[in-house]
Amino acid sequence: MPDPLTFGELLERHEKEIFAYALRLVGDRDDADDVYQETFLAAFRAWPPPRRGQERAWLYRIATNKVIDRARRAKRLVRLKDLRLAAPDRDGVALADLAAAIKVLPAGQRAAFVLRKVEGLAYADVARALDCSEDAARQRVAEATKKVREAMR
Amino acid sequence: MNDYLLEAREHLLARARREGLESVGYRVVDSPLGPLWIAVGPKGVLAIHYGATPPSAELARIVRAYGPGVLPDARRADGVARELDQYFAGKRRSFDLPVDLSPLTDFQRRLLGATARVGFGEVTTYGEVAASAGSAKAARAAGQALGSNPIPIVVPCHRVLASDGTLGGYSGGLDAKRRLLAHERGQVPAGGWPSKRAT
Repeated sequence: MPDPLTFGELLERHEKEIFAYALRLVGDRDDADDVYQETFLAAFRAWPPPRRGQERAWLYRIATNKVIDRARRAKRLVRLKDLRLAAPDRDGVALADLAAAIKVLPAGQRAAFVLRKVEGLAYADVARALDCSEDAARQRVAEATKKVREAMR
Repeated sequence: MNDYLLEAREHLLARARREGLESVGYRVVDSPLGPLWIAVGPKGVLAIHYGATPPSAELARIVRAYGPGVLPDARRADGVARELDQYFAGKRRSFDLPVDLSPLTDFQRRLLGATARVGFGEVTTYGEVAASAGSAKAARAAGQALGSNPIPIVVPCHRVLASDGTLGGYSGGLDAKRRLLAHERGQVPAGGWPSKRAT
């Protein structure tokens, strides 16, 4: 797909997944609305997207940072009580249990886990979204997966 | 698109407008000729494109003139959508919309200005509009320039024919040109044209 020429093209291509991602991370529609708005406004202000063909990972990175900033500002754990609305049922795992398990992960591992296991991004894209190396992304997902498994035993 | 996302998009657009990040608003409307992509800039209608998605060259032209702040903004294109509806319903014979021809060359502007003076239901030739635009020998160039008319229907290049009376060309396809001319001459089939809607 060619690079987006306009804000509208970027928005129409990615707004659904960014809204869904924000909802999975913050678990509340009003908060997800804010993260979605802040993500796209930041992207428009920082236009153009940094590297050819990587605008998707760029948006995920902005959205992840917005979520982490909000959590830090609010000095509270990110709520995931509405995860049921957005997350697909994986491997027969009860969504409420999964939500509870994800909730206790540190922010970086939580984002890596959701990007890889819920959004289905490739490790290279998870790494771009989180602005870390691919090895670090794999490690975070592995650690998060281990913790989630333990929490759900 | 679900309601939550629609609502979030409205909030986003309101903030983008407040911050001056939106230079051009666009929307897609249905018409008897299929979907039309309409863009409105600070000086008026910038583009009407046959189809739901404009080609990259068209977007690039708009971005060169007004930057990348081109956003889906139904409200901004409401006036154009309403006048187009009235035109297709047979309730409007001319458009009262400001049109923005500023990103075009001087020759294109003069030519489209001459084309805009051809009234509802009338036809003329490429040679005649070229002459009206002050370039009597430029009939061929006129054909090419009208072929890239960014605001068809409102600037009625469908009323310009080849000198032998054949249809010539049209950016929306010759079938659309034929149907627009028939519409303006009251030759619409009973029950209207079969609808072409966005898929």
